[in-house]
Amino acid sequence: MESKVLEMLIPMTLEGLKTTLSVFAITIMASLPLSVAVAKIRMSKNKLISTLIGIYIYIMRGTPLLLQLMFIFFGFYYVPYIGYAFSRNQAIFIAFILNYTAYFAEIFRGGINSIDFGQYEASQVLGLSKSHTFMKIILPQVIKNVLPSIGNEVITLVKDTSLVYILGASDILKAAKSVSNAYSAFSPYIFIGLVYLAITAVLTKVLNKIEDKYNYYR
Amino acid sequence: MILEVKNLSKSFGNTVVFEDISFSVNKGEIVCVKGKSGEGKTTMLRCINKLETPDKGSIKINERYLCREEDNKMHYASKDELQTITQDIGLVFQSFNLFPHMTVMENLIESPMFIRKMPKEKIKQRAYELIKQLELEGKEDNYPYQLSGGQKQRVAIARACMLNPSILCFDEPTSALDESTRNQITKIIRDLAKQGIAIIIVTHDNNFVDEIAETVITLSEGNIIISKSNQP
Repeated sequence: MESKVLEMLIPMTLEGLKTTLSVFAITIMASLPLSVAVAKIRMSKNKLISTLIGIYIYIMRGTPLLLQLMFIFFGFYYVPYIGYAFSRNQAIFIAFILNYTAYFAEIFRGGINSIDFGQYEASQVLGLSKSHTFMKIILPQVIKNVLPSIGNEVITLVKDTSLVYILGASDILKAAKSVSNAYSAFSPYIFIGLVYLAITAVLTKVLNKIEDKYNYYR
Repeated sequence: MILEVKNLSKSFGNTVVFEDISFSVNKGEIVCVKGKSGEGKTTMLRCINKLETPDKGSIKINERYLCREEDNKMHYASKDELQTITQDIGLVFQSFNLFPHMTVMENLIESPMFIRKMPKEKIKQRAYELIKQLELEGKEDNYPYQLSGGQKQRVAIARACMLNPSILCFDEPTSALDESTRNQITKIIRDLAKQGIAIIIVTHDNNFVDEIAETVITLSEGNIIISKSNQP
């Protein structure tokens, strides 16, 4: 790679990393806890509430994230009564959090369902409250069970952050594109591919560490 | 009298599990509940342990009503009353239902730590007493998967005893045990009864019943037959 290409690419990549990593981190931090709550509500005995949550999950999983980003940024303003013009960053975070919460919620729902009912009964007989049972007895076991699936989604999220280009946000892929256009070179794309690989390599390590941490029992 | 069951009935939909059964259990008494599978033994035990809600009749534990019938209406214990009754009765599940992500010690102290505003040290002291009594020394930091079937069962017994219940229930305690662990559990149950704990055992293991029961309750087609055995 020519040095002038690198000279332009490196600062732009660093700038783009801010967007890529903040979309990633904020989505994870918001959607993981939210999704546990959504999974619980989805499993609620109240048919109306669980159906509404089911529809939300269906829409989020049944349409492209790209379309969701566009809808929230460009389309939501025109929705009668509740229409509102979100800023670009707001639209990005809302779309990503809504989308990933739906995916994570389905994973958690499966995880919660997989816990033996005897665990609830033992807790009940021992006088533990429902919330204590969920937080201290059920959830730790659920987390262990769902970690591999959550890990998959987390890796997918890294790559999905590149979709923010549709709203004109400057992430690392946009940096590569700008430099590529400026110098008619393809090498910036290869460079950015390596950056994605580096991020996912670190995440894979972290995820394995967490899985190891939960491997203290069987 | 520690436990008094009167005119208890339970059905699931149109299927009557048992109807109008009455019996009582005294301090330190060992009662075995026999019957073919599907005769409602376990359901009856689950009613006493508030895992099922009876349709009719009353259950009285240590002068407190878990449920009672008055003017043809069922009254169930309030949340606060339940909390007190919970501490008076323990259940050892057939599959033990230990918490797999917690050590033996953590399994034992989870409930007393939650229910009682007692210092952790006092609770741990009680746990060590039970660990010793149930021959689980050295296992306190092990996880359930590291234990044998008999050890798991003893942990489950210790866990149920942490709140000093007056009644301890067992669901099929001998189903997963070999001969020697079986003898061990027989001895443990006798010791617990000697300490004044009333024992209710649901089982279809007739040899075990002959060995341990003072009173035998046989459930058959939704009715019961009570017989005293010649055990001391």
